[in-house]
Order: sequence, then structure tokens, then C-alpha cells
Amino acid sequence: MTKFFLAAHVLAAIIAVGPVTVAASMFPAAIRRAQAAGPADTASTAPVRVLHRICRVYAAVGLAVPVFGFATASSMGILTDTWLIVSVLLTGIAACVLAFSILPGQDTLLAQLGHQDPPVRRSSTVRLAMFTGLFNVLWAVITILMIVRPGSTTGA
Amino acid sequence: MPRARRPLRIAATVEFASLLVLLINLATVHLPEVSSLAGPVHGCAYLVSAIAAARDPRGTIGVTAMALVPGIGGMLALRRLAR
Repeated sequence: MTKFFLAAHVLAAIIAVGPVTVAASMFPAAIRRAQAAGPADTASTAPVRVLHRICRVYAAVGLAVPVFGFATASSMGILTDTWLIVSVLLTGIAACVLAFSILPGQDTLLAQLGHQDPPVRRSSTVRLAMFTGLFNVLWAVITILMIVRPGSTTGA
Repeated sequence: MPRARRPLRIAATVEFASLLVLLINLATVHLPEVSSLAGPVHGCAYLVSAIAAARDPRGTIGVTAMALVPGIGGMLALRRLAR
């Protein structure tokens, strides 16, 4: 059963985190382009909406990752391992960054797109890119922790 | 027209259903695999329903307090919000 839980956990992570990483990274540049092109240019506004939609939907899919993660850890009896607790905390922080900073930030910029007061400012997109980068660093660190498992006998 | 508050509705249902799975498992065969999976599902559903209830535009302190009740909090919050 542990094999199933772990496989599901990794699959869910690949399916959920991958698209969010790509779409969220592309979003700031895409919305700058759309703002420059003007409100009538649907060829540059449509991709921005798709990118936001991908982020939103796959962020929800990402709920499966900690569910199967806890299932795996509980099954293996390693819930008290330090590397795991640190990973869980970092995951919590990453989830908060995604839910309370990145997704609402994208929403706000989308609402400002094409309007004059206020328009999409470069500084806002740069800030959004910063939080997106923070999210990416966090999940990369978590992945490495889960492979190396410092302090455990089972690390790679 | 989609029903209102779909995320909260789904989370509340999952929270309650997973609790039933856990309790029935405990009372009968008590398979550790079932506990290992249903436990995290229940926990995550609890968190999601608590946050969804807190973020609802019609949410009050009372609604959030209801949502924090373990096991059935999501359902309680939904009933409060529907009133």
C-alpha cells in the first residue's frame, strides 16, 4: 500500500506542480505584453487568462499531493522524522504563497488589464514574479529534502 | 448555473465522508492502510472547508467558528451560510 501512496504522491506532484511552475512563470511577461498591446487585442489577452486558469485549476489539483504525502509517511511510520517535518512546513509556506499571494496577484493584475486607472504596472508584475520565484524555490528545496532525507537512513 | 459555494460544499462532504470511513474502519477491520489514507483526506478536507468558510463573502465570525468544529464543521458552516 505504501508503494501505491508514494507513487500517487509523486504523480500528483508532477501533474500539479509542473503546470503551475510553467504557467505562473510565464504570466508576468505575458500580462506585460497584453498591457502594451492594448485592451482590444484579444490575441495577447487570451493567453494571459489561460495561464491564470491553469494556475488556479492545478493549484486545486495540488491538494492531492499532501494528502498522499501524509498517507505515505503514515504508512512508513516516519511522521516524526525531521526532514519530513521541515518539508511539511515548507509545503505549508509554499501553499500560502500560492493561495494568498500568487493567485490573488494574478487576479488583481487581470482585473487591471486594459484599464487606465490603474493600469498594469511593471512594478506589480515584477513583484508577482518575485513571489512566483519564491514558490518555485520552495518546492525545489522540498524535492531535494525528500530525496536526500538528511538524518535518515533511507536517503538517496 | 453552478450551485453556490461548490468548493466548500465538496470539502464539507469529503470531511464528513472521510470521518465516517475512519470511524467505521476503526470499529470493524481497522486496516492501517485505510487510516493512513482516510486520515490525511479528512485533515486536508477540514483545512480546506475551514479556509473556504472563512473566505466566503457572507462569512462571519460565527460561520468561521462553526467551520472549525472537527468532523462536521464544514456542514455546519454551510447551513449557517445558507440561512
